[in-house]
Amino acid sequence: MAMAIDNAFEVDFSSYSTTTTTTTTDDDLACTWNDWGSPVVDWDSLSSERDEFQDLIESMMDDGTGIELARVDHETSNSVSIDTMVADEESNREDFKGLRLVHLLIAAAEALTGANKSRELARVILVRLKELVSPNDGTNMERLAAYFTEALQGLLEGSGGGHGKHFITNGPHYHRDEHHQTDVLAAFQLLQDMSPYVKFGHFTANQAILEAVAHDRRIHIVDYDIMEGIQWASLMQALVSRKDGPPAPHLRITALSRSGSGRRSIGTIQETGRRLVAFAASIGQPFSFHQYRLDSDETFRPSAVKLVRGEALVINCMLHLPHFSYRAPDSVASFLTGAKTLDPRLVTLVEEEVGPIGDGGFVGRFMDSLHHYSAVYDSLEAGFPMQGRARALVERVFLGPRIAGSLTRIYRTRGEEESCPWSEWLAAVGFKPVNISFANHCQAKLLLGLFNDGYSVEELANNRLVLGWKSRRLLSASIWTSPDSDF
Amino acid sequence: MFQPKKPSTMNSHDRAMCVQGDSGLVLTTDPKPRLRWTVELHERFVDAVTQLGGPDKATPKTIMRVMGVKGLTLYHLKSHLQKFRLGKQPHKEFNDHSIKDDLQRNAASSSGMIARSMNDNSHMVDATRMQMEVQRRIHEQLEVQRHLQLRIEAQGKYMQSILEKACQTLAGENMAAGGYKGMGNQGVPDMGAMKDFGPLNFPPFQDLNIYGGDQLDLQQNMDRPSLDAFMPNNDNICLGKKRPSPYSGSGKSPLIWSDELRLQDLGTAASCLGPQDDPFKSEQMQIAPPSIDRSTDLDPISDIYEAKPVLSGDGMGDKKYEASPKLERPSPRRAPLQADRMNPMINSGSVAQGRNSPYG
Repeated sequence: MAMAIDNAFEVDFSSYSTTTTTTTTDDDLACTWNDWGSPVVDWDSLSSERDEFQDLIESMMDDGTGIELARVDHETSNSVSIDTMVADEESNREDFKGLRLVHLLIAAAEALTGANKSRELARVILVRLKELVSPNDGTNMERLAAYFTEALQGLLEGSGGGHGKHFITNGPHYHRDEHHQTDVLAAFQLLQDMSPYVKFGHFTANQAILEAVAHDRRIHIVDYDIMEGIQWASLMQALVSRKDGPPAPHLRITALSRSGSGRRSIGTIQETGRRLVAFAASIGQPFSFHQYRLDSDETFRPSAVKLVRGEALVINCMLHLPHFSYRAPDSVASFLTGAKTLDPRLVTLVEEEVGPIGDGGFVGRFMDSLHHYSAVYDSLEAGFPMQGRARALVERVFLGPRIAGSLTRIYRTRGEEESCPWSEWLAAVGFKPVNISFANHCQAKLLLGLFNDGYSVEELANNRLVLGWKSRRLLSASIWTSPDSDF
Repeated sequence: MFQPKKPSTMNSHDRAMCVQGDSGLVLTTDPKPRLRWTVELHERFVDAVTQLGGPDKATPKTIMRVMGVKGLTLYHLKSHLQKFRLGKQPHKEFNDHSIKDDLQRNAASSSGMIARSMNDNSHMVDATRMQMEVQRRIHEQLEVQRHLQLRIEAQGKYMQSILEKACQTLAGENMAAGGYKGMGNQGVPDMGAMKDFGPLNFPPFQDLNIYGGDQLDLQQNMDRPSLDAFMPNNDNICLGKKRPSPYSGSGKSPLIWSDELRLQDLGTAASCLGPQDDPFKSEQMQIAPPSIDRSTDLDPISDIYEAKPVLSGDGMGDKKYEASPKLERPSPRRAPLQADRMNPMINSGSVAQGRNSPYG
């Protein structure tokens, strides 16, 4: 069907409409456990919930019943429309099943922390959930529910974290850091290939950096969490091939390292440094690598950073990329505060985009988290529907542990802690926003286009691009400069 | 959802006659009756959606009820809603169709303005400026695309260095292997999963061997083209073909078995990204040629690693990394982004420039 929204377009490349409300369908899903009647849950009776939630389901689902879909183009044969009818009924069933899992999860969360707290009820619900879900098989919702169930189970038993002790792994206790190196590597590569999350953060930051240092001979980047260092490969490549500005600019990277972090997932800081040095050599990029060792309280002391006259200082702060470890807010705050005193030319910040917190407490944030990760799962599936095992690996190595960790933290603070986005924090302490260029925005869109139409990039502020899947915003990249800079 | 439009028939959808039905709906009379989303209709749509609480709360059914427009079907609303959800801002997709359309439309309208107001110089200047702006943007987008490609390749190259290093480490571990880190009770390998990967030219499981046990094996492996099929993403470096190894002998020791399992996980996981069509079509990177100098392990750890620029362009940055210019991604759903995809835009730009016909 050729539908054109005539006259609604304007060829305007430089500014985009901003949306400030995050839409969420979670209100539809919320049901207090009081709706369920007696504390002893009659599971059989739950199967009749279909009538209760019929409207709910309908309002959530895009497709109408098969009958309405039969009114398609005249050219479409009847047999096709019948097939669509059948397929839709099936997907309706699946959606219903997924919905049911969601309700069970929310009920469990409620039982754990809600007004009518009942550990016994929570336990019962979780038992039921475990019968229905598996981390390796089934639909997205089923696998996702498996990890959430696992996480809740961990909370119930009071073992802070609950990493895969129960049924996610069929072996001994697997903590994220204990995943075998090959698994982590494979999962990382798959993550890179199957989704744009990592590249979006890296490329948006890099493009802003390139633009900010276009005329500089020396560039110094202080990287909060360098991980495996892949962000800098493309920056180096871009520096080597840049046309205007001084040729062969020298790049220096200072990477923060943590002492007690246990075995890093993809190697140590030293290994990363060596890799980067080798890579730089291979493309002819003048380069040097420094390590800044944080002590155990992760206080950042800017005076300990070696600075060189005439270098353009860039602060790079990647947080919450799917394969990243959790960093305590104090550590991040210490870093960014310290960074301010260094008067950097540019600060690049990438962080998770969280839904509106409201006053939903633990359950509210639980649902938001569910919404978030279901979008991530969906995004992976949409691009790679047949590669279930690959996705299951990524889920097991990266996403599952994140879910567990995230829920533990929410639980500990009972969702009371107002988790302010770091971008707001930067603005509040005085950093000035730097506009995202047309080229940067353009690059983001092109990048997403390589993956799937479901991804979207929004310019929510002049200095902020947000990557989303369908209607869910997931990752935010923002650019800043120091308060005193006249950049 | 858009039908591809050829530049020469850019106004074809405008040329079809439009009739206005009783309900006020505009339906075209071309062979496939289409609903024309006029401004008014769209505004009513947006009102309805807003009333219902936003594009995610609203459903085609409820919108239909609220709008109360006769002749409007769920089908119309479904696709319109989907588009509305995805593209709330104008140029979200740099699809060849939509960008081309928009640019053409804009370019044409500016030409139209020229035609209509020949005597008004200021209009002409504006129109020309607008066209130049469009041209500039197109050029910039092409630049961006080119850079993006190079940057992704650079990342891929770096990724490969990670994998190579890991393989070396693992091979080393293997050689020293007595105990192995807890593999867990993997039990019987999950053969079923292998079937996931269809036409991929997978060597049968029995032929798998682990890292071979020594570097020589790895090097020998690399020349075999069939490894490409197995692991297009370079994890194949880690895999050996069937060969006698100090560990396996005739059968497989339990140690090997569990290693193979892990390998299989690695293998199947990573290789499942292989293209479902041609397993031998190489992805961006080839596997490492044996010429890679493995002995360059860097100096003992110090805080500062200095790299002197290597100007000869030799070393790792060799022919191996002259990846194909096509930006190919393993997604089965997407066609590779090729340079010629953007060409229609150039054409449209230049065509529009010369075109003087009035728009509409």
